Amino acid sequence: MKFSVPIFDVKNLTFSIKGQTILSNISLEVFCSEYIAIIGPNGGGKTTLVRMLLGLETPTSGEIKIYGKKFSNFNEWHKIGYVPQRASLVDASFPATVLDIVKMGRTAKKQLFSFYGTEDEKAVYDAMSKMDILDLKEKMIGTLSGGQRQRVMIARALASKPDILILDEPNTGVDVASQKKFYTLLRKLNQEDKITIVFITHDIGVIADDIARLFTINQKAIICNNPKQLLSCEEMSELYGMDAHLLHLHKHRH
Amino acid sequence: MLEMFEYDFMQRAFIAGIIIAVLASVSGTFVVLKRYSMISETLAHSALVGVAVALVAEFSPLWTAVVFAVLSAWLIEYLRSAFSLYSDAVLAILLSGSLAIAVIIVSLGGSFNNSLFSYLFGSILSVSSDDIIIIAIFGTISLAILLLFSKELYFIAYDEEVAKTSGIKVNRLNFLLASVVSIIIALSITIIGSLLIGALMVIPTVASLQYKVGFLKTMLLSLIFGLLSVTAGMIFSFYFSLPSGATIVLCVLFIFIISLIVNRKK
Ligand SMILES: Nc1ncnc2c1ncn2[C@@H]1O[C@H](COP(=O)(O)OP(=O)(O)O)[C@@H](O)[C@H]1O
Ligand SMILES: [Mg+2]
Repeated sequence: MKFSVPIFDVKNLTFSIKGQTILSNISLEVFCSEYIAIIGPNGGGKTTLVRMLLGLETPTSGEIKIYGKKFSNFNEWHKIGYVPQRASLVDASFPATVLDIVKMGRTAKKQLFSFYGTEDEKAVYDAMSKMDILDLKEKMIGTLSGGQRQRVMIARALASKPDILILDEPNTGVDVASQKKFYTLLRKLNQEDKITIVFITHDIGVIADDIARLFTINQKAIICNNPKQLLSCEEMSELYGMDAHLLHLHKHRH
Repeated sequence: MLEMFEYDFMQRAFIAGIIIAVLASVSGTFVVLKRYSMISETLAHSALVGVAVALVAEFSPLWTAVVFAVLSAWLIEYLRSAFSLYSDAVLAILLSGSLAIAVIIVSLGGSFNNSLFSYLFGSILSVSSDDIIIIAIFGTISLAILLLFSKELYFIAYDEEVAKTSGIKVNRLNFLLASVVSIIIALSITIIGSLLIGALMVIPTVASLQYKVGFLKTMLLSLIFGLLSVTAGMIFSFYFSLPSGATIVLCVLFIFIISLIVNRKK
């Protein structure tokens, strides 16, 4: 698998703003069908890294290749599904039904002068049934619970039939029962549908068995090819403080 | 009531009014959802500079209004992207700057105050048959563009960054929307007036948002509200000899208040 072109190939990435270095010298690769978790303390630069991968933020130095191409030559953005941090905190008065939102996932695929066709309808239906939100179809997004909104946001990302899902702490404000279902779902998407998953989370103990590799990010990145080993490492606890402490607790409970 | 249609000027006013109602409420939906309501006020004042120039130089006001409004929209988008200025500050600066320039031009040019008044508050008498042609042509093009890109514009209004990462050309479409909105505003200032067109763009959508329905229904409701208020406003304007823009705005405000009451605690 590692002989194929990585989806993301990042070399020596540095991001500084207002004289402050947020990320320094990050190199990483994300391969097809991998399940990767990114952890690190708040303010460590996880969101910034992902935003650079998506071209929303310009690195100070370094190089990003996406499917082997530079940003300027890349035009298959529908292959990438992105659920930003706080995506489920929607403006309650925005006029959108669940269906309106999931259909957005098809928008960029459309050519000029073309309308939603049967293929789009099928993709939208599949995404909603996968996320188990078909019965919410006509509900206004502002009336849903946090867990339901989270599933809507991921259904929108899935509707474009992506190769890769990038999820930035999507579980903020979601109850524990919904979270469990959610982790099972991510595992299925990865194992059955072969969707690559990049998951920024604090709940690493729960998904340790599912993930292939773990990136810990606190200004610098440390890549770990054996997530379970990392979790028992005392140095990590020093480096990441409270966060890593919690990881240990999780680890012991599971 | 049909007697008012015996007047040529009233027929023209109605055709123009209906076209403007459709354009203002459809484009207004995107402007409001993008939280960009103030842009309509600013562009309307820039269009007024065009009118002032036309009054002094004796050109057709509608053409020059369109040109000045579009240039101003481009300037706004450029300033927003090139310097990291706050959008609302850019809009406020251009709004007052435009108004100052328009007033200076008009007062230097002599006593055009009467005709300027009708461009500030709207007049059913001001639409010439040439204007109707311009309004119809530019109106059709603007509406076609809005409908063609409605899915993209809706996505951008919902979440600009996710729209960008899914491959939508956000910057180009923002530019396009600003241009189309500026054309629509310039076309509207004859009947509605530059001080009041912002209300016709924004209030029908804000009223329709009270009903808490999906995108398409929201847009349809706002269209109905726009058409109702423009029609009623022009009828009142005719029978009570009031400035048409002001009566139209009172009608749309009335619909807004009713919508608020009907949907209380919904
Ligand atoms: N555009 C920006 N302007 C100013 N500061 C930024 C910007 N982007 C990121 N930062 C700073 O970078 C740091 C890392 O933030 P972030 O990537 O959100 O961390 P995390 O997602 O790991 O919590 C924070 O201190 C944040 O304030
Ligand atoms: Mg973050």
